Parts: sequence; structure tokens; C-alpha cells
Amino acid sequence: MGKLPDKRLVRCPRCETPLEVSRNAKSTLCPGCHQNVRTEDDAVDTYCARREFFTEGEVTVGKKGVLIAEVRVVRLVVQGEVKGTVQARESVVVAKTGRVYGDIRTPVLSVEAGAQVTGRCEFGPGLAQLRAPEPAVDAGVSAA
Amino acid sequence: MAEAPKPDSTTILASDCSFKGEMSFEGSMRIDGRFEGKIGSKGRLAVGKGAHLTADVTVGQANIDGNLKGNIVAAERVELTSSAVVAADLRAPKLVVAEGATFVGNVHVGPDALKGAEKSEFVVPMAATPIKK
Ligand SMILES: [Zn+2]
Repeated sequence: MGKLPDKRLVRCPRCETPLEVSRNAKSTLCPGCHQNVRTEDDAVDTYCARREFFTEGEVTVGKKGVLIAEVRVVRLVVQGEVKGTVQARESVVVAKTGRVYGDIRTPVLSVEAGAQVTGRCEFGPGLAQLRAPEPAVDAGVSAA
Repeated sequence: MAEAPKPDSTTILASDCSFKGEMSFEGSMRIDGRFEGKIGSKGRLAVGKGAHLTADVTVGQANIDGNLKGNIVAAERVELTSSAVVAADLRAPKLVVAEGATFVGNVHVGPDALKGAEKSEFVVPMAATPIKK
């Protein structure tokens, strides 16, 4: 069996320095800000309140999980409750039992019917389009 | 090319149409063109893929495939499909977002979403509201 380069590239959630870590590493030290960076996947199934919940991996907040923190992850799945600002590099899924109270920024958001979401949301591949100064909507619109 | 009338009597604002003003409808309405103004209905609004709306929308249900800027309040639910591009404040008991949808704005979704709408938070600023006693 050949030795596959079992590495992946992540970024420091604090200073955005690119970091190469082995795929099963649980954490690494960021040379940019000299802080420990968690890189493991995680699950929250109980009450968990802390200032920061950062990991460069996938986090699932289970049905009975309550996560109160500033959240920065790669992928987030919410079946329980999250209170705090959420940033996910890839995606956030709010399941039908999920509740998110806080701002969400992510490229891809999925919300199932029944989920609760309160906060400012920014998501989607067309964000650049929305932020760019638009051609006047009036163009081509005339009073009917 | 004339389209055959739909059996469920949907009003359609076709893709080559533009409309400015206030609109209300019964049943369901589909917008494929451009719209600027206000939409009020208890029914179902569908915003087609090529549609561009700058609007305050208050409806029963909204299904958005296209572009919308403004406010959305739905008594029942809002669905954003993968082609939706929305910059709005959104309030509804239920929201369904498909992967790929783009959105910027404040979201208030859940069983209590509409209760808050009666309070000041989401409505016109006090100064703009005429004082009645
Ligand atoms: Zn760092």
C-alpha cells in the first residue's frame, strides 16, 4: 500500500493562518498566533456554555445539546440549540428540531421546516452579487 | 405564445412584465418579471427564477426562486430554493432553505416569529408612526 499524504489544509479560526495537519490530528499549534487550534470533529449532547467553541472540523449539536458560545467550525449540524454567533466555513444545517439564536455566516445554509432561527443571516454563493453595487432596479421598470 | 390557463387560477406577472405599486391577490400569484412595491395577500406567492422584486411582502406563503430585496412576512411559511438570492428581513413560523440559496438579512423564524411582529422591533420607527389616541 502506498503512503497517501493523509493531510488536510485548515485555517486558524483566530488569525486565518493556513495550517497543514494530518487528517486525524486532534489539534495543532498555530504559528501565527501561537495558540492551540482544535481540528477534531465534535458532538455536543449536553449543556455546554463557554466563550468560544472553535474547531476546524464538523460539529453536531444533538437533540439534547445546548451550545452557548461563539461558534467557529467547518460544518455545523444543529438538532438541538445554539446560542451565539455562528461561523462555518462550509455549511450549517438546522434540522427540524434545531434552534439557533444568533447570527449565522456560512456559504451554505439548510433549514428544515420546523426549525427556529433568530438572528442576522448571511449565506449562499451569491453573496458577492448582493454586496456589489447593483444596477438600478429601476432600469426597465416603468409605472404600470 | 399564450400559456394555457392554469387550473388553480394563479395570477402571473410574466417575465417580460414590470410592475410598480401595490398589489394584493387572492389564491396564488406568480411573479416572473420585475416588481417594485408592496404585496399583501393571505395566499401564496411564487417568485420565479428570473424575477426581480424590490418589495415589502406580506403573504401566507412565499416560495422564492428568484431575486428579492425588502421584507418578507409570511403567516405560514417561506421557502428559499437553491436559486434564490434574497436581501431581506424575514419573519415566518416556518422557513425552508435549500442548499445553494443566498440570503442576507435578519431572520426570525419559529412558532413565535409573528408575535414579535406586532411589537415595535420590526415595524416602522416610532417617529414615522402617526400618534393616535
Ligand atoms: Zn492563529
